[in-house]
Amino acid sequence: MDNIVVIIIILAIITGAIAKVVIEKRNGNKCIGCPHGKSSDIECNCDDF
Amino acid sequence: MKIALTGNPNSGKTTLFNAITGRTERVGNWAGVTIEKKEGEVKKSISKGNASIIAVDLPGAYSMSPYTSEEHITSDFVKNENPDVIINIVDATNLSRSLFFSTQLLELGIPVVIALNKSDLNKKKETRINANVLSKRLGCPVVETVSIAGSNNGLEKLIFTVIESKGKTQQIPFEGLAINKTNRSAIEASDKKRYEFVKSIVLEIEQRKVSSNRQTKQDVVDRIVAHKWFGIPIFALVMWTVFSISQTYVGPIFANILAGWIDGLYRYVEGLLGQGVSPVLKTILLDGIIGGVGAVVGFLPLIMVLFFLLALLEDCGYMARVAVVMDRFFKRVGLSGKSIIPMVIGTGCSVPGIMATRMIKNDRQRRTTAMLTPFMPCGAKLPVIALFAGVFFNDAAWVGTTMYFLGIALIILGALIVVRISGEQNSRSFFIMELPEYKYPSIKRATIEMLSRAKAYILKASTIILLSNVVVQLMQTFNWQFQVVAEGAQNTSILASIASPFAILLMPLGFGVWQLAAAAITGFIAKENVVGTIAVVYSIKNFIDTDALALVGGGADVASAMGLTSVAALAYLVFNLFTPPCFAAIGAMNTEMENKKWLLGGISFQLGTGYVVAFIVYQVGTLLTTGVFGNGFLPGLIAVISIISYVVYLMRKGNQKSLAKKAVLEV
Repeated sequence: MDNIVVIIIILAIITGAIAKVVIEKRNGNKCIGCPHGKSSDIECNCDDF
Repeated sequence: MKIALTGNPNSGKTTLFNAITGRTERVGNWAGVTIEKKEGEVKKSISKGNASIIAVDLPGAYSMSPYTSEEHITSDFVKNENPDVIINIVDATNLSRSLFFSTQLLELGIPVVIALNKSDLNKKKETRINANVLSKRLGCPVVETVSIAGSNNGLEKLIFTVIESKGKTQQIPFEGLAINKTNRSAIEASDKKRYEFVKSIVLEIEQRKVSSNRQTKQDVVDRIVAHKWFGIPIFALVMWTVFSISQTYVGPIFANILAGWIDGLYRYVEGLLGQGVSPVLKTILLDGIIGGVGAVVGFLPLIMVLFFLLALLEDCGYMARVAVVMDRFFKRVGLSGKSIIPMVIGTGCSVPGIMATRMIKNDRQRRTTAMLTPFMPCGAKLPVIALFAGVFFNDAAWVGTTMYFLGIALIILGALIVVRISGEQNSRSFFIMELPEYKYPSIKRATIEMLSRAKAYILKASTIILLSNVVVQLMQTFNWQFQVVAEGAQNTSILASIASPFAILLMPLGFGVWQLAAAAITGFIAKENVVGTIAVVYSIKNFIDTDALALVGGGADVASAMGLTSVAALAYLVFNLFTPPCFAAIGAMNTEMENKKWLLGGISFQLGTGYVVAFIVYQVGTLLTTGVFGNGFLPGLIAVISIISYVVYLMRKGNQKSLAKKAVLEV
């Protein structure tokens, strides 16, 4: 029983971490945990030059 | 309602954007910090409950005729996306330059509201601007603002005026000539007329007490701080002081408290688990999750103090002077004058640093800068520096300072090599940078910057680092038959079998053990992983001794667990700092380089640099400290000679290409 509880806790922590990564990625954050990481989502218009 | 925030670089657009939206976008006191548009909703407390107002912060532009990619974004947005109102942020201390762009905006037919920003600086200098006359001459409302002030900043009045201006017809005080945009002399003639118009307005509305060409105390300080010879030692002294405060004195006090909490959590959970729980599950939860993540989080106070101090340095205007000092060297080795900005931004995080290279028009210079920016130690590398400085060098501030200057030296050397390999002529570029005035730094802004770094650090630790540690712990716990490896037989684990071949390659560098090879590999996911993985593979709960009130007071124990000499530890640190950055930064390099050959070349160059520098540090250091070369000297020397020979071959090939080009031009 103790093992099951610990497994559930570990899975909850891992699922939470994965969910956060997925949410951040969906929000356009290409560098999770980088300050101003969302800045990396807009493509450059350099081809126009 | 959509409003666009436009203005010259360094006029305070992003500061104003942050103030009206409550966002915390990166600001800086030099041009080029904002390289793309950002959107945010204006706070209801400022818009007084009016309908939703979306503010769009645009990169700085000097003209509506785009010259750089950032100006292109700004020009495109105001021309094509029809904002309801344009807020033109005008630097009140530099009217004549700012109003050139204003007159171009007024021609678009979109209502414009001028925010006369930095009005506080004018009051200090006793410069008077008659805003009413300016408003009449331009035919648009003018509101005085001080976007860095918490109150009486004019922002409510500005937004109120913006709401009032929606739908109104915009007068055009000066209409540019209809000219052929490819005719240079026609453009110059048109610009000259516009400047004359602007000058006539400035003469009418501005009264200066202090002449702008008079030498001030600031100029005297600049002559020393930005001096071509004194500038570098002054910068070294400043960085040494910053590292001393953050890593030797103030940082460890808070780090110790935090480490005590993490240790307490570890013991509490350990006590809760009891004897009935499987040892494998215990290890994953305690060592993998709490211990591994805790080891990384333990360095948070050091990082926070460091970034707080760097933010103060930037805010008081010093970092802009450092940019001037460095720019002198970078231009000489074939980099763009603008290359310094990505590198300064890269000290926080390589990703936005690499992205900032897009403002460099020359392909070779842009790609070279993107390739070399990761050599500046970013925030993610700081825990690695702190760990090794603490464990092996008694928290010495010289370790961090040396890594910064070694990074700068490698950038200069790298640029010299790349310019020869590419076979391009070293075209001199010019970059005029407006130096901000020295001022007392804002504690509030430094605190916001520090908290933003801390938030990002915790987010990374609780997601990427946590997941990596769990995977590393599982790979270390099981063998390929998915059986739990026996105590003391971890070298039969999945992790050991994957990392061991790499460890052989690292033997000549002094750290040829699978544990450190595994840590270096996971460092490519995020550099903080080096710390987390070392904690997991050596079962170290934290690197901070709670009893001795000193960071890594138990350094001797940690060092003996890792089985490294101080020289080998320094080589390992150098290897982790100067080999390719994390995958996110490599992704940014891919985007900005727009060329797979350059990307592969860049990654190989970084790998080769890290290997060669670590080899030199280990072998020369071992020779100096023990009188003999370290292990694996001969095979390492062969590898290093091969790398250097290949680079020399590429440089000679590039040189021939350059000579051939020259010959064709002469013919």
